[in-house]
Amino acid sequence: MKDLVEFIARALVDDPSKVQVWQDRGGSRVRLELKVAKEDMGRVIGKNGRVANAIRVLLRVAAARENKQATLDVVEPR
Amino acid sequence: MGQEHTTLEVIAPSVEEAIAEGLNQLGLSRDRVDVDVLDIGSKGLFGLGSRQARVRIKIKGADADLAGTGDSAGSEAAPVSRAAWKENEIPTDEEFILTTSAEVVRTLIDKMKVRARVTAKYVAPVDDKDERMVQVEVQGDDLSILIGRRSETLNALQYISSLIVCKQVGHWVPLMIDVQGYRQRRERQLRQLALRMAEQAVTTGKRQVLEPMPANERRVIHLELRNHPQVTTESVGEEPNRKVSILLKK
Repeated sequence: MKDLVEFIARALVDDPSKVQVWQDRGGSRVRLELKVAKEDMGRVIGKNGRVANAIRVLLRVAAARENKQATLDVVEPR
Repeated sequence: MGQEHTTLEVIAPSVEEAIAEGLNQLGLSRDRVDVDVLDIGSKGLFGLGSRQARVRIKIKGADADLAGTGDSAGSEAAPVSRAAWKENEIPTDEEFILTTSAEVVRTLIDKMKVRARVTAKYVAPVDDKDERMVQVEVQGDDLSILIGRRSETLNALQYISSLIVCKQVGHWVPLMIDVQGYRQRRERQLRQLALRMAEQAVTTGKRQVLEPMPANERRVIHLELRNHPQVTTESVGEEPNRKVSILLKK
């Protein structure tokens, strides 16, 4: 799951070195956090969150393959 | 022996070059290997922020029959595949777009843990205003998970893929992904639905509102009824609940 989000994010941003995906360990509900450079936030979120939502849809499939549910948050870099 | 001869990671300025380089090193032709794109790289602006592409090349059926013969098989095959590559050493933009599209979709599906075959080709425009588009065909067993409710997953896959391909190629590429001929079947259904609902609009004199549909499906309805003598169509509501409405011409 982390792999998928990382691949998509790296492919969409201008600065892939700043892409970080954090995945919590845990039960059947998995939380992922995607961090990218401030300038790249728009690229992974998109107009009305369209890109982020599409990533979530694909993530849902990856999670379902492992009988899990996943949520994805895009977080601002500090 | 095994491992180091069966997979190879290559870094090069572009995916295309990385694959070429890898095949060269292995002395194999493209159809003998599976390619996993680890990083498609980025051209950057004026060399700023550019990043090399990274691919992993795996020899097909390597585990089974290459363990002991890796070296000899490699050196024998080498001259052939080098010659084969020479022919299209500078891939044209069109070929590059096709391979990139297929690799991007293949990588995404692979990372979604779904096993499928992916091929890409150009298809003729649907009507005169359309451009020729890249059609990526995904085939395999039980791929309904890639389509999703109201083709939500398929559309997300298509959206993300085209964003990545567009970034990699440097310009917009019209890209369509189909899974097991789903889009074609669905299009036929939609055309029938359009005609049936138009007929109903005519007989009842009432506006017919269809189910919510994604933009590409609404388009099929609009196109089908474009030249209908008695009805016109419009889309109402907000995404993702936008619906086509069929009404009598005034």
